[in-house]
Amino acid sequence: MSAPLPRIPRPPKSSLGLRFGVLSAVLFCVLVSVRVATETPRFYSDDPIGKEPDSRDASGAKPWDIGLMYELAENLFVTVNYKPSNTRARNINTIDEVPDSSWFTNRVGSTPVSAADIARGPELGKPPANEKWVILREKSAGANPGFTAKDANGDTWFLGFDYPENPEAATSSVVVATKLAWAMGYNQVETFLTTFDPKRAEIDPNATVRRPSGKRTPFTRADLNAVLDKVARNADGTYRAAAGRALSGTILGGFRYEGTRPDDPNDIVPHEHRRELRALRVFGAWIDLTDLKAGNTLDTLVTENGRSVVRHYLQDVGATFGTDNGPHEWDIGWEYLFEKGPTRRRLLSFGFALSPWQTVPYTEYSSLGLFEGDVFNPTTWKPQSPTTAYMELRADDAFWAARRVMAFSDDLIRAAVHIGQYSDSKAERHLTEVLIKRRDVIGRTYLSAINPVVSPQLDAAGVLTFDNAAAGFADPPTEYRAAWSLFDNATGTAKPIADTRSATTTIQPPRDLPTAAGAFVEIDISAESAGHPSWRQPIRTFFRRTGSGWKLVGLVRLPDDLSRPASAARVP
Amino acid sequence: MQTWLRVRPRPTALAVLSTLVIACLAAPAAAQQPDTTTRTSLIEQAQAEKAAVLQPYKPTAAEKYLDYAEAYLTSGKLHWHPYFTSAYAGGGFTLGAGYLQHVGSYNVLNLRGSLTFSGYKRVEAAFTAPRAFGKQIGLSFLGGWREATQVGFYGIGTSTEKDSRANYGFQQPYGSAAIDLSPAFRVLVLRGGFEASQWEQGPGSGSAPSVETVYTPATLPGLGAKPTYLHSQGTVGIDWRPSPGYARRGGFYGVTVHDFADPDKAYGFTQMDYEAIQHIPVLREAWVLSFHGLVETSSPKSNEQVPFFMLPSVGGGSELRGFSTWRFRDRNSLLLQAEWRIMVNRFIDTAVFVDGGKVTAHRSDLNLDALKTDGGFGIRFHGPLATPLRIDVAKGNEGIVLVFSATGVF
Repeated sequence: MSAPLPRIPRPPKSSLGLRFGVLSAVLFCVLVSVRVATETPRFYSDDPIGKEPDSRDASGAKPWDIGLMYELAENLFVTVNYKPSNTRARNINTIDEVPDSSWFTNRVGSTPVSAADIARGPELGKPPANEKWVILREKSAGANPGFTAKDANGDTWFLGFDYPENPEAATSSVVVATKLAWAMGYNQVETFLTTFDPKRAEIDPNATVRRPSGKRTPFTRADLNAVLDKVARNADGTYRAAAGRALSGTILGGFRYEGTRPDDPNDIVPHEHRRELRALRVFGAWIDLTDLKAGNTLDTLVTENGRSVVRHYLQDVGATFGTDNGPHEWDIGWEYLFEKGPTRRRLLSFGFALSPWQTVPYTEYSSLGLFEGDVFNPTTWKPQSPTTAYMELRADDAFWAARRVMAFSDDLIRAAVHIGQYSDSKAERHLTEVLIKRRDVIGRTYLSAINPVVSPQLDAAGVLTFDNAAAGFADPPTEYRAAWSLFDNATGTAKPIADTRSATTTIQPPRDLPTAAGAFVEIDISAESAGHPSWRQPIRTFFRRTGSGWKLVGLVRLPDDLSRPASAARVP
Repeated sequence: MQTWLRVRPRPTALAVLSTLVIACLAAPAAAQQPDTTTRTSLIEQAQAEKAAVLQPYKPTAAEKYLDYAEAYLTSGKLHWHPYFTSAYAGGGFTLGAGYLQHVGSYNVLNLRGSLTFSGYKRVEAAFTAPRAFGKQIGLSFLGGWREATQVGFYGIGTSTEKDSRANYGFQQPYGSAAIDLSPAFRVLVLRGGFEASQWEQGPGSGSAPSVETVYTPATLPGLGAKPTYLHSQGTVGIDWRPSPGYARRGGFYGVTVHDFADPDKAYGFTQMDYEAIQHIPVLREAWVLSFHGLVETSSPKSNEQVPFFMLPSVGGGSELRGFSTWRFRDRNSLLLQAEWRIMVNRFIDTAVFVDGGKVTAHRSDLNLDALKTDGGFGIRFHGPLATPLRIDVAKGNEGIVLVFSATGVF
């Protein structure tokens, strides 16, 4: 965590006077904090941390409901006008990475992930024992038809089906997207493709369904038939279903993309400043995860190490690959559900001012949605409504996310898509190819937008090596430059030593590099590229001398005051 | 700071200020404590500080109201509701209300009434059972009474003059039952219904002369009649629109057969309605070319007559929009409508439209000759399934008509 300052609860909106009082107090607090920061070391002994602790018991967290109407209205009419703070994510560690947490686990791009790993995904247990189903109630999440049922083993599952016009579309999408989101690092529900045979289905005597009257009444065979009448049926009378295992623990409801849970002591970073949530703008663009509402997230209260903690899930990632059960509307992924600009343009031009989504060519399969990779531009991709975290994405967040997306090899993508069990091999191949194309567009867009130096290392002799994340997307720079300084960790001051340069990703050190254990060196690494002037903005790295060599303890890709919003990055 | 002012949670003022003070004071103290030598311990310290001020989530006023509205609309709590349907076409701006009560899991009883500034009145009770017999079969019963005070009658045929308007009124008790098998099928439309009603004509009010002062029973079939009708009807068709209330693709093609039986054997007749609707999306549904055709033909039963007030007609806010409601009447009618609909956004469409229509004494005259036409522009506020507000401005050769409607045009 880069800014371990005390967390300040947000003030109420109740009065103007109170607002001034709160602002004054916040300003005072910030000033105090600045002074404190100069008195504390820049780097601690455990930097960079690999895991964000959940040190306090969160058993007091209570379930809440986030109203769909309120959230949609707020996002479309308030959040859309949100001015990004343009500050670094607050949950990153000192080397600009996201530590593991109750939100996120570093997987692809950080640790080896095999095709077998991605095929398994979040699955910890066995697939549903579908020789028998006992229906418990209607499906509580998602729009596609389904219900909640127990399998022959007594495990509870949420079953979702396909619409007849688009067999396999909804079920395959959620299964494949779950694998990709899990590999990306997000907590995911265990999701399997399975079969539902109504002849082997029973209805629990206590099963209920909420009626239009608002009352819960017994779930009947007619209710079951009403669901099955609307969904795609297999030739043998069974039904293909996506089964999501019920999460363990106490269900607390969705999480918001802004602020923190006031009843969770471990939730101290406002969600809009969590990098993995900002990064959903990039990851979401890749897989076309358009339905980012809080209703598709879920917090659960679970026991870990004898303590109650809140785990945060992206619960329903089914609205992906151009689908929303069936193909979604044409403008989804291109415009919010409501936007002033396009509204005005179409109103005044009688629709003659065409929007991009009106002319994009799609190869259509009944089992896939409106998903393409030739015109795709991640900087103009949009979910159905913006979230505050989405608005806060900066170029360094996008760079981080793009590296994760680029870490999905062709084989990994192929393995994830294959789990979708598309009966049409052409559809499977098409989805794979589009994902690969969109992945590459994301890499080309974001990895070359800012200084692409990554993985800096100092060997024992002080020789600096690193990689260029934009290699393959942009011409290599003509020269790399390293500005070396001695760094005083106690005061935070740096004393320049020398500049060294190289045409390669290996740079020799200056002669008077310290050798004493505990010494710090600061190196600003920049690159000279005629086509990418932004690469002159150095990344600032910090190394600490250990007994055997140098350890990277700090990396700032874009400081707060020099940052640019990710929207500045455009596809070349 | 901007963020802090707009996001949740919102603890009490005292809690906020005290927390800020505690937090600020805690910061330098923490820097001096020995356990703050690691990043992890700093984070844990921040978590400990938050643990001291935990509180339940408090929604804002706006969130509370919208959540309440959402729950009210979706959980069966909606009882009182506005009702804008006039007693009879041409009644003008309508105000009304209804009380809706669920009877069982899906069935709804709705008691409603409306009133117009021109004195049209309606009170009725409707019972709808969308899942009758445990299946996807719609069943509905309707009973009520209505009064119209100044229904326009301009004479028979298309060549009548606008200034020849006369008015009539009527009162009508009615009761009906209808069954809709369509939900059980994907595309096929099968509907049937039976209605019993009694028409009691009266003098018309308003600025136009009352109809009995202009016509006699000899010159106007049905004038002064008080027939009781036993009306049975059946519809068969195909419908692949996403919703009849709002669609940007799909179509409807159907035929409806009516039998209006008069127990007194004076005014019985049959009527056939042939209707076609086709929506052709252009440029990914950003434009839609929508077409509507409706032919109504009536035939009196042997030795009986079709009374003037039951004749097929064209004219009005959903038909020939540049002309008054009930403007043209005769034994047969033809209505053709075309709209170029422009998607402004997900909730607003605009449209440029033309209407054409005529009425004829003989079916063989139902052709495109001498159509009455109009054209205009409209804006529609809609959801995915319905169009709760439509505003059209139409111009025909009899002037400009402004239409406000709580339904789509077709």
